[in-house]
Amino acid sequence: MKREETVNFFAEEAKKNFSKVAENAQKIIAEIQNSEKKKLNYIETFDGGSVLAQLKELEKWDENKKKKAKLFGVPITVKDCICVKGMESKAGSRILKGYKPLFDATVIEKARKEGAIIVAKTTQDEFGFGTFSTNTEKVPKNPFDNERSCGGSSGGAAGFTSHTKNFHIALGQSTGGSIACPASFCGATGITPTYGLVSRYGLIDYANSMDKIGSIGRNVDDAALLLETIAGKDEKDSTTLDAGFVVNEGAIRKVALVTDFFENCDEKVQKATMAKIKKLKEFFEIEEVSLPLNVKYALAAYYIIATGEASTNLAKLSGLRYGVQGNVEGKHFDEYFSEIRSANFTDEAKRRIILGTFARMSGYRDAYYLKAMKVRTKLINEFKKAFLKYDLLLNPTMPVVAPKFSEIEKLTPLQNYAMDLCTVPANLAGLPHISCNAGFVGGLPVGLMATAPHLKERNLVSFGKVMEIE
Amino acid sequence: MSDSKKTGQNADEQKIMIGLEIHASLGTKTKLFCACTTEEAEPNSATCEVCLGHPGSKPVLNKTAVEFATKIALALNCKTNESFFFSRKTYFYPDMSKNFQITQYEIPLAEQGFVELPLGKKVRIRRVHMEEDPAALIHPNGMGKSNYVLIDYNRSGLPLVEIVTEPDIESPKEARDFLDKMENVLKYLGVLKGENPLKVDCNISLEGGARVEIKNVSGFAAVEKALNFEIIRQKQEIRMGKKVEQHTRAYDAETGLTVALRKKETEEDYGYIFEPDLVKIALSEKEISEIQKTMPELPDSKAKRFQQKYSLAEYDAKVLCADFELGKLFEKMVELGAEPKTSSKLLTRELLAVLNHDSLELSEIKVFAKDFAELVGLTVDGKVSDKNVKNSMINYISGNKESPKQFLEKNNLLISSSINADEIVEKIISSNQKAADDYKKGNEKALNFLAGLVMRETKGTLDPKKAQELLKSKLKKADK
Repeated sequence: MKREETVNFFAEEAKKNFSKVAENAQKIIAEIQNSEKKKLNYIETFDGGSVLAQLKELEKWDENKKKKAKLFGVPITVKDCICVKGMESKAGSRILKGYKPLFDATVIEKARKEGAIIVAKTTQDEFGFGTFSTNTEKVPKNPFDNERSCGGSSGGAAGFTSHTKNFHIALGQSTGGSIACPASFCGATGITPTYGLVSRYGLIDYANSMDKIGSIGRNVDDAALLLETIAGKDEKDSTTLDAGFVVNEGAIRKVALVTDFFENCDEKVQKATMAKIKKLKEFFEIEEVSLPLNVKYALAAYYIIATGEASTNLAKLSGLRYGVQGNVEGKHFDEYFSEIRSANFTDEAKRRIILGTFARMSGYRDAYYLKAMKVRTKLINEFKKAFLKYDLLLNPTMPVVAPKFSEIEKLTPLQNYAMDLCTVPANLAGLPHISCNAGFVGGLPVGLMATAPHLKERNLVSFGKVMEIE
Repeated sequence: MSDSKKTGQNADEQKIMIGLEIHASLGTKTKLFCACTTEEAEPNSATCEVCLGHPGSKPVLNKTAVEFATKIALALNCKTNESFFFSRKTYFYPDMSKNFQITQYEIPLAEQGFVELPLGKKVRIRRVHMEEDPAALIHPNGMGKSNYVLIDYNRSGLPLVEIVTEPDIESPKEARDFLDKMENVLKYLGVLKGENPLKVDCNISLEGGARVEIKNVSGFAAVEKALNFEIIRQKQEIRMGKKVEQHTRAYDAETGLTVALRKKETEEDYGYIFEPDLVKIALSEKEISEIQKTMPELPDSKAKRFQQKYSLAEYDAKVLCADFELGKLFEKMVELGAEPKTSSKLLTRELLAVLNHDSLELSEIKVFAKDFAELVGLTVDGKVSDKNVKNSMINYISGNKESPKQFLEKNNLLISSSINADEIVEKIISSNQKAADDYKKGNEKALNFLAGLVMRETKGTLDPKKAQELLKSKLKKADK
């Protein structure tokens, strides 16, 4: 990858010559407004007036302010579940139609301070409930084959990143793999940070104890740059860590392939990733490791905890103070909110509400919710043990290449959830991970995922750099 | 069951078990999880994205609320847990901005405390935990008649402490004693909000029967009444051969009756999960001892100290300490040099009598310890009669700006010196020789007559007892 292709290079040039900012932004606006490209469904909400206003504002910045700005003039798209003040933010759900937050999410506030231009909201599965961005009204299409999925749930973010030829970085969000999966299917680079490194203030919750805001870029430099600007302790989010992230490379010696995950993959994906790993052997010492507990229990624990939390998060959505409104005349509260919720949640949201409510009900709480919480601790410990020996763990991001929409329709919910096998363990354990392109199978991108110990995001940067060597 | 009361089939002899759940509103400046004010405000103006439950917002725990709650726990002799956390209690109701309440479930702030009642009985405290208040529902035309409700989210997220007792209370009167005692302790701490910071839910069962909950009874007198009614009702059910079933009732203050509301859901149906937006809180021993240092002396130990240090009677010391402001006033007066016993008498007899008469609270009026200390000084020196102490006090409390001393001086009510009194007494004796002789012959009424004349002559500045004493000694001397 050439330095001239990085956003970092663009931002430095833009500081010297504002016309570059305007030119790049205009191209992005044109791209978003192009009627043919609109059909690709990457963009959920776009407000051209707001972009022009931000441009005008940026033009006034003095040299001193510009000097420190890491994202000067850089267009940022935002996954729909991240609140942008005054801009419809509905996490891909019909029930939040019309919800315009009164506040910016902390990550938006931080990006703005660095000179970023918030351009648009990107499409996603409703509340992040999905692997293919199909559980929503606007389904994004894979840039490599429009009959196929972008992956999910940050599908619009990865699709647009891969599709645009202009300078841009995307804010994504992952609970169980929602950054890595679409990055893999769209051939982009997605970094999911350690849980708590980036503030969740202003993130519309899926499962709070696992939700992480991260970045998707065309290359590791871009993704790392955005992560650097949004990381750090936030008083408004009690779960943030007293830590930050500065783009830097970590010293990696030993790396291990998680054999269990390779075994569970499609043969062609296995082959493509192994070919790439052969090259990696020139840089790292590569061994094999097994994570039997994670392979066996991570998915089950994840879906119990995630749906348990999600079912409480979604309780507030009852058509009362924001989002869709119905006719309340002559109706009981119970009757009214049941009507609103029945009409506006997708089947998948309803499925997860029922599943999650069941898992925390009297009589089942001990056997499911509390047990899953205990299992999570054991799974984290299994990772910790592996990290005593290795600096990184590698596996194919997804067991398949991006599937066709027609194939997705045929999947049972269980087969659907099983697609997350390789991404869920790291997400459940709150471990930082990256998905980089490892090659192509039949013209479709294949992703290789690396997982690092908590707060060792720099190891991911080193890995990404090596992956980009032609 | 080692109790003296026998258990039996007879409903009248059955042991009564009462447990209370008290919700106390904390007097922090901001809400439990956001920076909104806790002050009275226009409906729905003291709100933000957090207490309105807007998507994307996150709670942040108010540390002062934790400190206040810890003080309550310590004052109720509870053990604080090394680390504790919050949980989500999920149920759908229009007063809930998120349709779940952030409360404490598995591990509360503190457990295993007690409150000692005046007669020495200990009522055990099961747990003390923190939670957020829901919004207020307002039925514009009364609960039954409105076909809509208004919601005021100013109350949403106000900090509450829930105090749960064991079912150790054995009578409605005891419940009231417990509440009075506990309220005073909490007032001493200075951690409560506004006028009526306590709300009470009562759980009552007669031995062998199921537990019945009476919701949201306002006022301690109403608690006593509601429980009395409920005992009679349950006894009657038993007599009629019915079984008391577990359910929830509401108390109607107008009729004094309790009315069945609904069958009580069991706790677990709230589908509790750990609140994932908040982290575990660990209070170190050091932090707890810091909080302990800032705690005021509580009524029981203060009363003991008053008894010992100022040689007050136990009863007087307790009366002084049963009102935080009164105890404070007493100590200030003593600091200013006022004699303790006379000070105590002035406050517990005279001042409280005037306040009770006018249905006033000490905290509602403006008084200065200096003025009271002056009055005590005059009393000790015998310069003011009891009657005029009372008059000057009434004048002072009624809002006149004069201090008692100024009032007494202005109206010439001070006894200037004892020589004057001597002269007056002698003058009265010599000009009423017949009455003097009658007294010497043993007619006690004659002494009262002479004393009356002395009082009239001194315009009441002389204490009637003192007048009688002086007369007696003069008449004895004259006899010699």
